[in-house]
Amino acid sequence: MQVAHPARRRVLLATLAAVATGARAAADPTQPLAPRMDFVPLRAGTYTLQRIQTCPDAMLVDAAARRVSLRELTTGKITLLSFFYTYCTDPWGCPFAYATLTGLRDSLLTDPALARRVRFVNISFDPTHDTAETLRLYAGKLHANPQFEWRFTTAATMGQLLPLLDSFGQDVAVTHDAQGKPTRIRNHMLKMFLVDPQGMVREIYSLNFLQQPVLLNDIRTLALEAGRL
Amino acid sequence: VSVNRPLFDAIFKESDMKTRTIAMGVLMLLTSLGTQADETCNSPYMSKLIKGQEDFVHVLTLGVQGWGDGSDKLVTIDANPASKKYGKVVHSVSMKERGEAHHMGFTDDRRYLWAGGLESNKIHVFDVGSNPAEPKLVRTITDVGAKTGYGGPHTFYAMPGRMLIGMLSNTADKGGITGLAVYNNQGQFVAKYPMPTSQIGGVQGDGYGYDVAINPAKNALLTSSFTGLDNYRRELGAVVGDAAAMKKFGNTMVMWNLKSMQPTQVLSVPGAPLEIRWSLNPGDNWAVTATALTSKLWLVKPKAGDTSGDQWEAKEIATIGDPAKIPLPVDISLTADGKGLWVNTFMDGMTRYFDLSKPEQAREVYAKQTGKQVNMISQSWDGKRVYITSSLLEKWDKTGGDNEQFLRAFHWDGKELKPAFEVDFAKEKLGRAHHMKFSVKADSARALAAPAAPMAVARAR
Repeated sequence: MQVAHPARRRVLLATLAAVATGARAAADPTQPLAPRMDFVPLRAGTYTLQRIQTCPDAMLVDAAARRVSLRELTTGKITLLSFFYTYCTDPWGCPFAYATLTGLRDSLLTDPALARRVRFVNISFDPTHDTAETLRLYAGKLHANPQFEWRFTTAATMGQLLPLLDSFGQDVAVTHDAQGKPTRIRNHMLKMFLVDPQGMVREIYSLNFLQQPVLLNDIRTLALEAGRL
Repeated sequence: VSVNRPLFDAIFKESDMKTRTIAMGVLMLLTSLGTQADETCNSPYMSKLIKGQEDFVHVLTLGVQGWGDGSDKLVTIDANPASKKYGKVVHSVSMKERGEAHHMGFTDDRRYLWAGGLESNKIHVFDVGSNPAEPKLVRTITDVGAKTGYGGPHTFYAMPGRMLIGMLSNTADKGGITGLAVYNNQGQFVAKYPMPTSQIGGVQGDGYGYDVAINPAKNALLTSSFTGLDNYRRELGAVVGDAAAMKKFGNTMVMWNLKSMQPTQVLSVPGAPLEIRWSLNPGDNWAVTATALTSKLWLVKPKAGDTSGDQWEAKEIATIGDPAKIPLPVDISLTADGKGLWVNTFMDGMTRYFDLSKPEQAREVYAKQTGKQVNMISQSWDGKRVYITSSLLEKWDKTGGDNEQFLRAFHWDGKELKPAFEVDFAKEKLGRAHHMKFSVKADSARALAAPAAPMAVARAR
């Protein structure tokens, strides 16, 4: 679909400007720009990714309202896991992560054999708002694409989510307004966790390191490590 | 519309190129207008960055026998002028031992502060995020020597989910041949990497280590080199008077491929290059360092004429004081825009400011004696506040009346350092004041448990 009509384009830009203005308070103040990449990445398989930590387990709820263990979602395939919330408007937070993930998925789909060995897992910060129905809305057709496994989940309660965030070292805080009341903004550092098929976290990317060609090579490196690519 | 995916679908997927370009331009412009950040000496790749006024300065101190319990400490000082306790010590926590506490660094989530003991070879981890006014010692990592064979954990540099540690020594002969260690944020050992001792890029590696600093845009890790425990735990006068000991200092910097953690180039930088600061100015790809023994500023930058994009060169750009008098530059602090550099020289107690607007033509534009001995220097992100401490190493600090131990805070208006407040660490019996980090009172992640304002879920389309 093209947003070609001038009136529609104006609406889009006005909305975007409003979103961006509102998002300024939530943006990581030292990370105002997309990650630069002034280098040629190493060829996949020529380096070894560190074994950083064992991926923790937790019981989650997916977009189909089914209970699913995180272990099940982080083993058997190469998993790229990230936390998000559906109404995040920080341009360099969840929307940038979404753009990165969709771009990466498109690259992976050019190699169907590799794509079948990879899954994306998104876990919402906000179980109260991001119910299964909301996750289905957000996910659109992504989670039901047989070509690529992309799972959208959250915890059943905030109390169940907090230990998981601690285990991943994923910070998040509610931003308060001038009156001290909590706002809808969840200030968080954008992070993605690359997990090998055995459930070991092998790389962690924050915004400065979210360079798509590097992510793709790291995924290929893990696939080569398993010896089946 | 509370689900934003369709909006960003419109930007990234469905809009025409012109609309997409304009839209992203609007986003980048509006976001950059809000750019403010933390002090400039940390790893810049962390969250909860301080936007303006810091509330607290945390000072790591080396214990002194007879001063209180004689142990190393993390001392917290109120640094907010709006506070009734401004300039006062509000908290201190003892490590219950004296192990040459030296440098520290936040984890990437800025919740925990890791502090290394150059003699104890231990890492003390403090929870600062829960209550910055009252840091708590929550973990002591004691397996550094056993896991790595290295000693003297010096620099703590936050990487996503883990800490990169620049080491100074080793457990075998206590000399300067050492390496890098990586621990995850839970305090578990992940990996180790030896400093190169072979020739790489035509320059002989010396195996020494000190500071570490990353430029993710170049996939580059830069390291510097100092000396081993057998020198830094010996009286400075004895070291200087021992020709053999003086040969046991690093004379190199090493460029590494960050992804593979393999050294790619050894650079000749004679005289113990210490602190490294990459310019944080967007688009810059250079770093600066100061050499302790030769009293020079050096620039590390992409090699002129190189078309591969991965070759670097080190270039001497300025002299600090009179090198013949060995003023001993010990710490530097680069302004957020990369256009100015503070340099502290220990022996003469001088704080100098260099204009780096043309990095290859650095020139000193200001100097002031700020103490009888000065070591670390940290500045706020806006550069308006500058903090200085006094201690270098237990065995290298001056003695008698010259052995001042302090934190001195200054206002900087671009022309003059004006005293703001001072804490006398000798009078307070808190130890030798060394490394500093800032913190602010922050929202707790636990506030997430509080429900946000009710919101409607609307179908976007």
